[in-house]
Amino acid sequence: MGSWVRNLSGRPINPLSSNMRADPRMQTPLSANLGENESLLRALYADCADVVFRRFAIGGGTNALVLYIDGLTNIEELDRCVLAPLMLQTADLCAWPPSGQPAHSQRPPKTAEPPAQPAQSQRPPQTAEPPVQPSGPPGQSPGSPDPLANLRIPVSGAKPVADIAGAVREISIGGAVLLIDGRPGGVAFVLSKWEKRSPDEPKAEPVIRGSREGFTETIADNTAQLRRKIRSPQLKMREFEIGRLSRTRVIVAYIEGLADAALIEDVTARLGRIDIDGILESGYIEELIEDNPWSPFPQVLSTERPDAAAASLLEGRVVLLVDGTPFALVVPTSLFSLLQSAEDYYQRFWISTSIRWLRYLFFLLSLLLPSVYVAVLTYHQEMLPTTLLLSMARSREEVPFPALVEALLMEITFEALREAGVRLPKQVGTAVSIVGALVIGEAAVSAGLVSAPMVMVVSLTGIASFTIPRYSAGFAFRMLRFPIILLAGTLGLLGIMLGVLAIIVHMCRLRSFGVPYLYPLSPMNGNAMRDIFIRAPWWMLGARPLPGEPINPRRQSGGQRPGPEPGDGQG
Amino acid sequence: MLDNGKITPMQMLLLLFPTIVATAVLLVPSVTERHAGRDMWLSPIWAMLAGFAVVLTAWALHRRFPDETLIEIGERVLGKAPGRIVGIIYVFFYWHAGGMLVRQYGEFVSGVFLMETPTPVIMGGMLVVCAYAVRGGVEVLGRCAQIIIPAVLGMYALLVLLQLPSLEPGRLLPMFEFGILPSLKGSIVPQAWYTEFIAVSFLYPSLTDRSKGLRWAVFAVLLVAFFLTLTNLVALMLFGEMAGRLVYPVMSAARYIVVADFLEHLEAFVMAIWVFGTFVKIALFYHLLVQCTARTAGLSDWRPIAMPVGLLILLSGIWSVPNLQEMIDVLDSSSVFELVSVQLAIPVLLLLVALIRGKKAAAAEAK
Repeated sequence: MGSWVRNLSGRPINPLSSNMRADPRMQTPLSANLGENESLLRALYADCADVVFRRFAIGGGTNALVLYIDGLTNIEELDRCVLAPLMLQTADLCAWPPSGQPAHSQRPPKTAEPPAQPAQSQRPPQTAEPPVQPSGPPGQSPGSPDPLANLRIPVSGAKPVADIAGAVREISIGGAVLLIDGRPGGVAFVLSKWEKRSPDEPKAEPVIRGSREGFTETIADNTAQLRRKIRSPQLKMREFEIGRLSRTRVIVAYIEGLADAALIEDVTARLGRIDIDGILESGYIEELIEDNPWSPFPQVLSTERPDAAAASLLEGRVVLLVDGTPFALVVPTSLFSLLQSAEDYYQRFWISTSIRWLRYLFFLLSLLLPSVYVAVLTYHQEMLPTTLLLSMARSREEVPFPALVEALLMEITFEALREAGVRLPKQVGTAVSIVGALVIGEAAVSAGLVSAPMVMVVSLTGIASFTIPRYSAGFAFRMLRFPIILLAGTLGLLGIMLGVLAIIVHMCRLRSFGVPYLYPLSPMNGNAMRDIFIRAPWWMLGARPLPGEPINPRRQSGGQRPGPEPGDGQG
Repeated sequence: MLDNGKITPMQMLLLLFPTIVATAVLLVPSVTERHAGRDMWLSPIWAMLAGFAVVLTAWALHRRFPDETLIEIGERVLGKAPGRIVGIIYVFFYWHAGGMLVRQYGEFVSGVFLMETPTPVIMGGMLVVCAYAVRGGVEVLGRCAQIIIPAVLGMYALLVLLQLPSLEPGRLLPMFEFGILPSLKGSIVPQAWYTEFIAVSFLYPSLTDRSKGLRWAVFAVLLVAFFLTLTNLVALMLFGEMAGRLVYPVMSAARYIVVADFLEHLEAFVMAIWVFGTFVKIALFYHLLVQCTARTAGLSDWRPIAMPVGLLILLSGIWSVPNLQEMIDVLDSSSVFELVSVQLAIPVLLLLVALIRGKKAAAAEAK
């Protein structure tokens, strides 16, 4: 049934070739003529001081060229494993095509007569007539020989490169491209090595119990971390290249047989629509693929934790890894996944359940506390017990502002202090917090500018908003509390209720990749709610939590409730 | 289809429940007490029969015309022109009913909480939020109800729970002092409210699981009857027959609550129950008005008229009655006939005509 899963239709896109705004030169196949290739590549990389062209002769005979970018490639490895064996090789090993193997379907350059090459003496008949061109992509056709054939190069990562675009791509990710005179096509050696951060504890999502490693800026490390957690070949990773200039690698990871095929198609279709010059962080992607771009709520979950990403994969979600950022994106997501922390699943379920309730309570406080305070003080004083009312009145005696202005003043000051604390260098940050505590605490009250209860309300709200484990979600609610404070100041409790209703309606309208934002609360799914209001112990969390018709509905076998065997240890 | 959103049977129940309870919960004690006196707790149970009648009629019509609402059924059963008239009647009915509803809400809030805020502002604020929900279609309404109504029920349960210490069951006695007649008389106005269940006729076609439609609709009627009876019982055990003289007995009851010298003046809870419940009800009526208008006028899309219709509801809310006293009088007298004739008589009429013509058609087919 899955009526709430929107029909996800999208045009299929061609991975890797999307967004390659074609420079005609890029499509040129690498010919057998080394000089020609070299001049083309040199023209492309004109004024690129970091690109190294190294010409040498194989065994003193055939000319060859190695091409790499300084700083991206492991030069020692390149020297030891590529240059050394080639230079020492004897010339006869470099014969092309290798003896015993017919070479065919090599595309001659489109220009005039291909220069005569000794090695191409056994040219097959179909390439003898220049007009007849193979119409397929300029790749290695199945019958063509391995360009590495009879070369002794002890490097495991080696892939054939057919055209200039391929060579450029390989070089840009740290590969070294080898072109040999007389051989069409080239070989790219994966020898990338650059300075990178080692995985350390995720700064934005720390846990007390749980894995301490986070994603890093290097996509290969991130995919490896996922693969280490889910070792089944069912974990698929499709690669995309997005950004006309940045050519950022984006990996769409999902588990085959768990993730909905329509969802994967939708994700790839939305990625395929992106046409932008550069992707520098996953935030770019997030804003370009969300369902409702105007909503204050994040519809894509971003996480720095490989374990959280792996858990999402196991729930049938799709994880997007973007090169250059430690933040992976998870779709679809819902409000409740934004209110959960990875650690909820590692601690005992009693702890997790009570912490979840604490979080829900404070999440409401972060949204409503200041506005309720304003509404009660402005319109509904009779609701307070008399003693409380009197003490509040006493503390507000000298305050020159109405409650609304007081609240706005203090909340904005608080936000400013928070922002200053985040942005400043650590050493100055402490100064900010000291001054802040003085400004919004002691001094303001003793100067009679704000009342002490207001300071309490503001600090409580601030703490409450930090209990939301995802920064972006916490921020959405912190931001929404300002319009609600204004509503409370104009319509009292009714204003708050109208504001809350508007937020509820908005969330009910919101979807994230076809999944309603408030799922599983509304539309209701009793099974999935075991992971919302409580965190049921693992042996009860048998159902996969996404809506619709799950392909593989059970994540574990039933009847795993632990306990002593009957009669065990009873004497 | 104009609105092809889907709702689950449970969402249908949660949409229907506040349709009666949201308004009735505040007014039912005072309205029933007037005629039924101490036996007023029985009146909602009698009145429940009207609810069953409406739900069953709507179900019978739905079985004959599974994909159609009353508007299309009218045209199909009665013919083009008379069917249009039925459609127009429903458009004006929901316009007026929506306006009255918004006005009731406005009068309550401005009478009890925000005495100095102009009523049109209060009504307009609510309608803006409702318009936002209505533009999302029935699916969004169903989801909103699923979030809001359980919360409302929770608050209501809390309110009843906190009143338990001050309840005096002795006030129920003597029961049936004047026979059963007073409680029957007291059920007349609530009966009219129960006919609002005809909204179910517009919801049946949107159900994900249509076979469960009737079961959940009947369940909704029972739930409503339970809540109205509970409200009357609590009001009676708390105030005795004085309940009839209070405009909003539930409100006064909430003022009564003091727990541990701290939790007092829980009017905010009543207001929350009322505002959230009424929101679902107004949004549903608003939705029905938009649907009826679009279907009667034969529009291909209803979204463009959602906003203007809201403005019309606001105007009808301002114009329909001059003040609270008159509104209570209308609710007590003429609106009963309005509600029953449009929401019960017309569907029954449609069903009868359909049955007769259906038989004729079957006979003709047999020949």
